[in-house]
Amino acid sequence: MELQWPLILFTFFNCVAAGTFMVQGILTLAGKGKAMQMASLVTSAVTLAVGGIAVFFHLENPLRMLNGFGHITSGITIELIVIIIFAVALVLYFLMMRRSEDGVAPKWCAVLAIIMGIVLPFAVGDSYLMAAIPVWDTFMLPLYYVVNAVLLGGLTALIIAGATKSDDARDLSAKVAFAGSIVCAVATLIYAVMIAGMGDAYTDMAYYFDPTLPDVAMREVASVTGAIIAGSLAPAFWIGQIIVGCAAPAVITGLVVFNKVKSEQVMACAIAAIACAVIGSIVWRVLLYLVAVNALIQFQWAL
Amino acid sequence: MSNYAIITDLNRCTGCLACTVACKAINGVDVGNFWIKTLRVGPHPIEGGSGTYPDVEMYFLPVQCQHCENPECVKVCPTEASHIAEDGTIQIDKDKCIGCQFCAMACPYGVRYLNETERVVEKCTLCEQRTAQGELPQCVAQCGARARFFGDLDEGVENFEAPAHPDTPGCQYDEMTKTRVKLKDYVEAYTDKDIHHLTDKGNAPKLMYLMREGRKWRD
Repeated sequence: MELQWPLILFTFFNCVAAGTFMVQGILTLAGKGKAMQMASLVTSAVTLAVGGIAVFFHLENPLRMLNGFGHITSGITIELIVIIIFAVALVLYFLMMRRSEDGVAPKWCAVLAIIMGIVLPFAVGDSYLMAAIPVWDTFMLPLYYVVNAVLLGGLTALIIAGATKSDDARDLSAKVAFAGSIVCAVATLIYAVMIAGMGDAYTDMAYYFDPTLPDVAMREVASVTGAIIAGSLAPAFWIGQIIVGCAAPAVITGLVVFNKVKSEQVMACAIAAIACAVIGSIVWRVLLYLVAVNALIQFQWAL
Repeated sequence: MSNYAIITDLNRCTGCLACTVACKAINGVDVGNFWIKTLRVGPHPIEGGSGTYPDVEMYFLPVQCQHCENPECVKVCPTEASHIAEDGTIQIDKDKCIGCQFCAMACPYGVRYLNETERVVEKCTLCEQRTAQGELPQCVAQCGARARFFGDLDEGVENFEAPAHPDTPGCQYDEMTKTRVKLKDYVEAYTDKDIHHLTDKGNAPKLMYLMREGRKWRD
């Protein structure tokens, strides 16, 4: 399938928004990060809005939503509902934080933030589960978005902690990012291996010819399912996602977690780590589009 | 209420592409896009044969919207632009289509595409503009091999109809278009086992393909 950049950016920014809110919830629950609460909420809200704007560029006629939107069996409808609930949770956290005497949102708000930080990326991933595209039609897709949110949220929180001088939040944020980068690497490795084994999900007519596309080669299942792990897309996967996207952030945040860098260098480390994580996150999303081929492999006419 | 579908006798289809061209002409399908395509499947070696010509077989497979019983495209549409019409076909209300293209992604047969001019998704309508007034879909009416038959599944596939020769040569247009022949009266004998569907991914495709024993259906 052709790359759908608005959707790639939508899912990316949603993971940043969800991850930032989630990690702020973890920090609040641990009694840390008081000074960075507002910055986390603003970051989460802004990235949620940016993601929302990005997805509108995917819609050809967004105003026709006014003619009736909300078919409940649609993943897009579920996404929108969850995004609204997420935004309400953000506002609720903000109000409870402002009302509290010590300036910290209550624990239940922290738990709500963690739950919404998981539910949002899961719902976004779930909307792409469709039997027609076997590489997407797996639990690993929403799971990946959740672990990607943990990685991006941990790194974003580390930057916010540095910017707001929330030294008490630095260690825990780094630990979340460290864990996120490792889990993200493991999840994408498992996902890539699963894709390599999805051959049976495709209908293969062996030899066929489409007279309207006389110069287009026949598609072979193995070239699709094997592309990521050891085929034409393997360099992008191993270098872009595993080494740059996960291993590099793991090493950098690991140095922070194990106190191998000076405190004044943490901010630079966090920025370097998130730059790597952003590259990996985009690369993996792009790969998932490049191998998104119909289960009836001969019949992909459009997209 | 009806439950319209098409059956194509693949033992008769010659791959002339008349259905593909006729559909484009009557429905104004843009250059580069198709509501029905005809794939050649094969040639494949015949089992037990020499492995080379003439021990090979192939068939032509006209593919269009399968007007599924349990359509994924309808499920994923957030505005109900894609819907099951009263005649059992899957239709798109263009005034409601926001162009999210999730239906195109969710269709196992890839038969939907974005009309770049109207910026909405399009696909085969089973010529509802014709069937609503008792005519046959254009791909059925223009089939060069009389391999395609259209009808109501509730009345039995054996009663599906194709155009037939009028009794009087030089008859008027009305008589010519209303002269029909039924599947059961025209094609070679077949059994229920000879009726195939494209791979079912839970969507229960309704369009049918007739291929008798002796040739291998590949799905």
